[in-house]
Amino acid sequence: MRKLMTGLARTLAIIGGIVLSLLILLTCASILGRLLNGFFHGDFMQSVAPGLADWAIGIGIGPVNGDFELVEAGVAFAIFCFLPLCQITAGHASVDILANSFSRRVNRILRMLTELTFAAVLVLIAWKLFDGMMSKRAYAETTFLLQFPIWWAYALSFVAAFAAALVGIYMGAVRTYECFTGRILVWDGVEATQ
Amino acid sequence: QEVTLKLHQFLPAQANVPKLVLDVWADGVEKDSGGRIKVERYPSMQLGGKPPELMDQAIDGVADVVWTVVGYTPGRFPSTEVFELPFMMTNARAVSHAYWEMFEKHMKDDEFKDVHILGTWVHGPGMIHTADPVETPADLQGMKIRGGSRSVNSLLTKLGATPVGMPVPAVPEGLSKGVIDGTTIPWEVTTALKVPELVENHTEFEGRALYTLTFVLAMNKAKYESLPDDLKAAVDKNSGLEFSVFAGGTQADSDGPARQVAEDLGNNIITIDAAGVEEWRALAQPIYDEWLADMESKGKDGKALLEEAQMLIEKYTPQYSN
Amino acid sequence: MSALEIGIASFPALMVLIFLRVPIGLAMFLVGLLGLVLVTDGTQVAFARLKNETYTTFSSYSLTIVPMFLLMGHFATLGGMSTALFKAAEGWLGHRKGGIAMASIGACAGFGAICGSSLATAATMGRVALPELRQYGYAGGFSTATLAAGGTLGILIPPSVVLVIYAILTEQNIAKLFLAAFIPGIMAALGYVIAISVYVRLYPDSAGTRPPVPYAERFAALLQVWPVLLVFGLVVGGIYLGWFTPTEGAAVGALGTGVIAWLNGGLTRASLSESFLVTARSTAMIFFIVLGAAFYNGFLALTQVPQELSNFVVAQGYSPWVVLALILAFYLVFGCLMDSLSMILLTIPIFFPVISAMDFDLVSLAAMQADAAMEVLKAGVPEAMSAETLAGIKDAIASGAELTREQMKELGIRVTRGMANRAEAEHVAIWFGILVLIVVEVGLITPPVGMNLFIINAMDRTTRMADTYKAVMFFVGSDIVRVIILVAFPAITLFLLPG
Ligand code: NA
Ligand code: NA
Repeated sequence: MRKLMTGLARTLAIIGGIVLSLLILLTCASILGRLLNGFFHGDFMQSVAPGLADWAIGIGIGPVNGDFELVEAGVAFAIFCFLPLCQITAGHASVDILANSFSRRVNRILRMLTELTFAAVLVLIAWKLFDGMMSKRAYAETTFLLQFPIWWAYALSFVAAFAAALVGIYMGAVRTYECFTGRILVWDGVEATQ
Repeated sequence: QEVTLKLHQFLPAQANVPKLVLDVWADGVEKDSGGRIKVERYPSMQLGGKPPELMDQAIDGVADVVWTVVGYTPGRFPSTEVFELPFMMTNARAVSHAYWEMFEKHMKDDEFKDVHILGTWVHGPGMIHTADPVETPADLQGMKIRGGSRSVNSLLTKLGATPVGMPVPAVPEGLSKGVIDGTTIPWEVTTALKVPELVENHTEFEGRALYTLTFVLAMNKAKYESLPDDLKAAVDKNSGLEFSVFAGGTQADSDGPARQVAEDLGNNIITIDAAGVEEWRALAQPIYDEWLADMESKGKDGKALLEEAQMLIEKYTPQYSN
Repeated sequence: MSALEIGIASFPALMVLIFLRVPIGLAMFLVGLLGLVLVTDGTQVAFARLKNETYTTFSSYSLTIVPMFLLMGHFATLGGMSTALFKAAEGWLGHRKGGIAMASIGACAGFGAICGSSLATAATMGRVALPELRQYGYAGGFSTATLAAGGTLGILIPPSVVLVIYAILTEQNIAKLFLAAFIPGIMAALGYVIAISVYVRLYPDSAGTRPPVPYAERFAALLQVWPVLLVFGLVVGGIYLGWFTPTEGAAVGALGTGVIAWLNGGLTRASLSESFLVTARSTAMIFFIVLGAAFYNGFLALTQVPQELSNFVVAQGYSPWVVLALILAFYLVFGCLMDSLSMILLTIPIFFPVISAMDFDLVSLAAMQADAAMEVLKAGVPEAMSAETLAGIKDAIASGAELTREQMKELGIRVTRGMANRAEAEHVAIWFGILVLIVVEVGLITPPVGMNLFIINAMDRTTRMADTYKAVMFFVGSDIVRVIILVAFPAITLFLLPG
């Protein structure tokens, strides 16, 4: 189970990383297109090589159409993909100044409650995201320029949010197990592995 | 008071529409309810979310009343786009009047069935502001222009310009750094964005405007239904046709002073005459066709809507022309 | 309970959860959710908001900058830029008393110019510089404290993730904030160097020396840092010159450092995966806090707490400077316990309206008009202008009076009260942003909870935390001096801003 969940989280994180890289390339391509488009339209190219310039413009050298909305849809998916890894590696920022002075027992109970709540929140997020997706679908809402249905973007994000909810539930189970057995499975910096 | 209405919208409180339109509506409702309704005003998306979510916020009751740009949710209210087509719009009062009439007849129980609409209007004539003068469609060749609406963007593409997507507040920066060569907005917005100080040329169209945007003031349906009859009456009294014409007209009235600013700066204001507009309008025909095809794919009679809109605009324009 | 009371009660509730070690993002999300349920009598509104709000919070074009900057920092390390920076700085400074520590600060500043995160800068430079410091006899606590402080330069010198978040929260221009951060960032590095020289003077045994490096080698090492200059110039310069938006700049920087890392052979399949995983973890952490804060702040707005607080403070009639000092002191105290990003997300929506409602008198209409008039007159007196008008204008400028409409018309300029007010608002927002940035970053190195201290201390198991705590106070001292200077002289921060 542990292997499966860690594998899921890592795979999603890498998929998210690849999507992020694609967005970086897309953005750079768009900038380049914009600069070149301005260059071919500029006085210099229009007087020196008008044929080449018009040809270049004709084949569509310019900013990538809809780059903005592709980035928005892509980055949402990437971030949902990143959530499971953060969850399974106890990566969320917290303040442990007071917790350090609690007993081990108290800390484990707190950690169990926190992680179970977190799981519930992740389930709620995925569930409501699904509702949002269905409503976008029912209303046939599209993006501004490319006019692709927004629910596609929601659907992608939902898949990742669903995985995050699964990993959240798993982590809830892990902390519960830890609380009752005293064996630490996932180290989170407050007490060492035993 | 016994009822509180949360009014949510995306502009800062001191901007034209919140100050001159929404506050007037809200004050009117408060007064006519004898103080039993209080309208709490939340500008600048203070209740959270982004502007495209406003419509859902009204439907779901996150806010009770929202003011929103219909085009923020493309594809969802396709009928309203008939007023956004290039060279449809004449003056804001006439088009807002036609919009309300057609809303009641065709959209109220169809596209807008999930909300209670209080007003429908459009802004003043949309036009082009550029660094280099634009007198003919060919002048737009190769310019990077921020387009104000979906149909303007596709028109710009057809004319050989490159539409650049950027939020309105980014326009001054974009213009001053040359990221864009121009922008389409109505006069009214130019002062806040310092457009006349950044570019020298303004192209307006006589008679029919390049474009406009459709707005709605929408209320949560259940909230409206839950009001006792006398409070419903107080809301109704401030809403509907008269309010829509007032709202559109008020927005358009801010155009004049803004135009004056550009004039005072000695900027070049180009007015395309009626004959010239015909030339532009002919080039926009594909946009009309696209819209008609889109409507057909959604099982709606776009042709009838278009003809009715044209007829109504024709009918009301003389009535509201000064 | 009224909505306002629920809003006020949410603060202690949030604090209790946070100190029970509930992750900060989760705590804000929960309190926001429960608060919304209480205020709106049911789950309907809260659940309806969730339908779209997680998606739209994560699908922010401006915030895309965050994972891109994080990735850029990793690529920079893979490309050997952190090592090159340290070698170059060490070559020039290493032989002086405390020189290797100073070189570490210099390298951190350089790395800060291509990395948007403090923790990443601390971790990266710690790995490079800590072994050298220890090898040449620098005391443990002094070494770790130096690198922890140096790490804060990752955020203080643009580009900076925290500034991006501030810009988005307050709707300010990211490019201008980056520009304004530049001089204070350099001051920070200089301040740390001074702190080091004071420290080695007080504790001469805490630092060893190394033999000077020949000049040929120094110049050779300096040549190795060109990729850093290239990337910084391209990213920050490009954003400033308007070649691209900040998000596009981050994409260019990530691609640029990626290509350099690949050319240097640092980018393999394994190291790329590792970069993705580390970026994924930090990005998810940041965005969950952003989500929690969005939810909490939406709830808070509904209870009208920020408006009431702002009204209350304004009604007290305190001087703006007192209010500013109190807010900065609050950040310094809370920074001992909380991390910078959470603090900004949590408090800026509350404090920013308060500060915005105050008049700091940073911009005067008359001065703006005088500048514009001088600009015109420098190019020559307009032909149509009478000697009398000219004299009137010169009088007005000399006496600091405002120009009349007619005078401006004659000059062909337009500087209105509205423009001055807008400039004032923007200057205050930017200046306040930089001050907040500095005080929350001090939180990263103030005991007991300082993320940078933890990161560096974990790298050196032989050094006790208490030693690090003690040595770092010198750097905290230099930070506080800098904050006082920047508060007293807003012009330092605003100097580079275009008129
Ligand atoms: Na930086
Ligand atoms: Na601290």
